[in-house]
Amino acid sequence: MDNKQNVCEEMVYADIFKTNSKTIFNHIFYKYGNEEKAHDAVQEAFMKLWENCAKVPPLKAKSFLYTVANNLYLNVLKAEKVRLKYADKSLKNTNETPEFIMEENQFQEKLEAALNSLPKNQRVTFLMNRIDGLKYAEIAQLEQVSVKAIEKRMHLALKSLREKIDGI
Amino acid sequence: MQEDYLAKWLNNELSDAELLEFKKSDAYATYKKIRNTSARLKTPDFDTETAWEELNNKREEKHTKVITLSPFKGFLKVAAVVAVVFTGAYFYLNSQNETFTTQFAEHTDIVLPDSSEVTLNAESKISYNDKNWDNQRNISLNGEAYFKVEKGNTFTVNTNQGSVTVLGTEFNVVHRGDFFEVTCYEGLVSVIYDEKEYKLPAGNGLLAVKGKISKTKATLNGTPSWLQNESSFNSIPLKYVLAEFQRQHNIEVDSKGVNTDILFTGSFSNTDTNLALKSISIPLQIKFTLKGNNVQFYEENTAK
Repeated sequence: MDNKQNVCEEMVYADIFKTNSKTIFNHIFYKYGNEEKAHDAVQEAFMKLWENCAKVPPLKAKSFLYTVANNLYLNVLKAEKVRLKYADKSLKNTNETPEFIMEENQFQEKLEAALNSLPKNQRVTFLMNRIDGLKYAEIAQLEQVSVKAIEKRMHLALKSLREKIDGI
Repeated sequence: MQEDYLAKWLNNELSDAELLEFKKSDAYATYKKIRNTSARLKTPDFDTETAWEELNNKREEKHTKVITLSPFKGFLKVAAVVAVVFTGAYFYLNSQNETFTTQFAEHTDIVLPDSSEVTLNAESKISYNDKNWDNQRNISLNGEAYFKVEKGNTFTVNTNQGSVTVLGTEFNVVHRGDFFEVTCYEGLVSVIYDEKEYKLPAGNGLLAVKGKISKTKATLNGTPSWLQNESSFNSIPLKYVLAEFQRQHNIEVDSKGVNTDILFTGSFSNTDTNLALKSISIPLQIKFTLKGNNVQFYEENTAK
């Protein structure tokens, strides 16, 4: 993105929305498991960006949006269960046995339960990587922590997920 | 195995040797399954197009709001001016006082809204707020007046020198220049003079001449003599007596030839000028010459 460009320009603003709205939605959803609030957070964050478009350079827009969205429900919203869906194509189109499919479904349920029992920041970090495909460095920038800290979170998240699922 | 190896593994950063070792562990199968299954996870649908439209509506709303607000603001300005004018006029009209004045040689009887009565002596002025009378019985006085107050709220007579507070009674107040006198004929009167409070029961009076305070006596249940067209004085400096004479008879007094600080005790008629002049001059052993609307006083032994 050109540094001379201005967020107040419609093209730039629309582009930022296209690239980031879904990930912001997901981010807030991982945190609180509330779809409606995640929608509101996207609207709120982008309205704030529009109001401050002259002050926020395009390169800072992304972290600005995350900060606004994150602060919106700080200490006010209670986390609900994060309900996730599965892209089921891989299962439906295979000729797997019913036993295998049932086993898969059971595992999915266990995984979901395990995810919900994770500390909030571990879950958010894990899902940003697994679902949104964000690199550790990208997550680190948005969460404003070091890459090392993100690696630690990922490690701990995987460890507890496994322990939960295997019943250790 | 290096620190946070699970994170490295997920990111395909493990060395071949490390990977081999990890694959041999019991937990590997589950980790692999977690990796594969979590890759198929999905969040609830997020429609970017709909969210974009919603956002644009909000931006539009915010934008148009500013435009539609301005004419309303103009209206508010007008409304504010109108409100200020009306409240201002209301308070101005409400603060407009009823005022009564008397000229030289003139008495006036006034009945206040609560049927209390005021008799104004010559060259005097009272004013009070007609609208607010039920809440506050406040009268300001310059000159001399006799009050017959109906029972009710506190009744206050304010003068530049002191204030008189009563509930319901009959009393006389004089305030002329540095002369201040309150006489109570019935009930109890409270006088505030020079920030001090004096209680006057019936038959008592308070006199302050140039700030010098003295107690006076009056006839119980009587009325001030001026109501009977007679001005009475008890040890009052001559200059106040002559000033009163001038007011009552509308005759200009020239008192350069006499000492006006001597005290006068007595009374004079407010109707008969010649009699009044004799009443003043004989006890003080001074002489006077009356020419038309002019009277000159002089010492007996002074050659005219």
